[in-house]
Amino acid sequence: MSFMKLKAISTPLTVINFINNNNKKSGQWWQSLHRTMLRGVLGKTFRLVGYTIQYGCIAHCAFEYVGGVVMCSGPSMEPTIQNSDIVFAENLSRHFYGIQRGDIVIAKSPSDPKSNICKRVIGLEGDKILTSSPSDFFKSHNYVPTGHVWLEGDNLQNSTDSRYYGPIPYGLIRGRIFFKIWPLSDFGFLRDSPNGHRFSDD
Amino acid sequence: MAQSQGWVRRYAKAFCKGFFVAVPVAVTFLDRVACVARVEGASMQPSLNPGGSQSSDVVLLNHWKVRNFEVQRGDIVSLVSPKNPEQKIIKRVIALEGDIVKTMGHKNRYVKVPRGHIWVEGDHHGHSFDSNSFGPCGTAQLLCPKDLDGIFVLVGLEMITAAI
Repeated sequence: MSFMKLKAISTPLTVINFINNNNKKSGQWWQSLHRTMLRGVLGKTFRLVGYTIQYGCIAHCAFEYVGGVVMCSGPSMEPTIQNSDIVFAENLSRHFYGIQRGDIVIAKSPSDPKSNICKRVIGLEGDKILTSSPSDFFKSHNYVPTGHVWLEGDNLQNSTDSRYYGPIPYGLIRGRIFFKIWPLSDFGFLRDSPNGHRFSDD
Repeated sequence: MAQSQGWVRRYAKAFCKGFFVAVPVAVTFLDRVACVARVEGASMQPSLNPGGSQSSDVVLLNHWKVRNFEVQRGDIVSLVSPKNPEQKIIKRVIALEGDIVKTMGHKNRYVKVPRGHIWVEGDHHGHSFDSNSFGPCGTAQLLCPKDLDGIFVLVGLEMITAAI
């Protein structure tokens, strides 16, 4: 009798349990599916962000301390560098203070810190620079102060350079250009200055 | 034998992996975000180095603030010295481009700061190598301003947060 009662009670309980479990299981199944998908997506996103940061930092270190590819615009360095040429610049000389007379350098513009200029180094500190124009009768000289360099473009008629804003501090130099990549007809190391007479002999 | 070689190779691989992740990230962080520096000299007394040669202040340089080269008058900044590119100097920004400055000890009495330049001076007038000596300085030479709200000043063994 009690056995029958027990069975009577337990059967609906079992059925209820079964239904509950099934619901729970299917609910759990949805939950676990969502969780895995979310975890997968989140994991992939974090990994992507991590790789981006890592490669961004490597790129920054390479550009800052080794060198990079630069596109030049403007007519002030013709015929050595034409408009829209692509050149290779290295930053090691700047860090080891190995910039010399006759090097083509990239520097931050003294009138606009966000733009770069590309000129040739005519004089280092202590050099005597001819500052009067060739048409003047009386020639005037200036000495480049310590810690500064005198820059001039190769295209003397069409170049805003140290003849206009004076010598610039060495700290503004970003890198040295030494190799041209594009256009392919001009591939190779860069030529010497066509204005050799501007370099002082003493 | 093979097992010891395998151990060495695994170690070398792990080292390279860690090296190429840690070093660029650390260098980029120190260059672009913030780094720590020690102040030497008396040109910024009494704001920095009030103790003279006994105790040098240690400051936090905030590179992130000058990523667009925007500074305000009154900021303390660190820049490459125009006279010696290997040296970095710490001064206060007095005037921005377009301002007219009354100088103390410069060859011109009044100077208009040209475009793209700033005028910096040390707080300790007379003991400071600043724009009164070398004129207005290009904004591009700025390395970073000091973090004005949180400069940690090391005095002996105590650390005091000083707001300037």
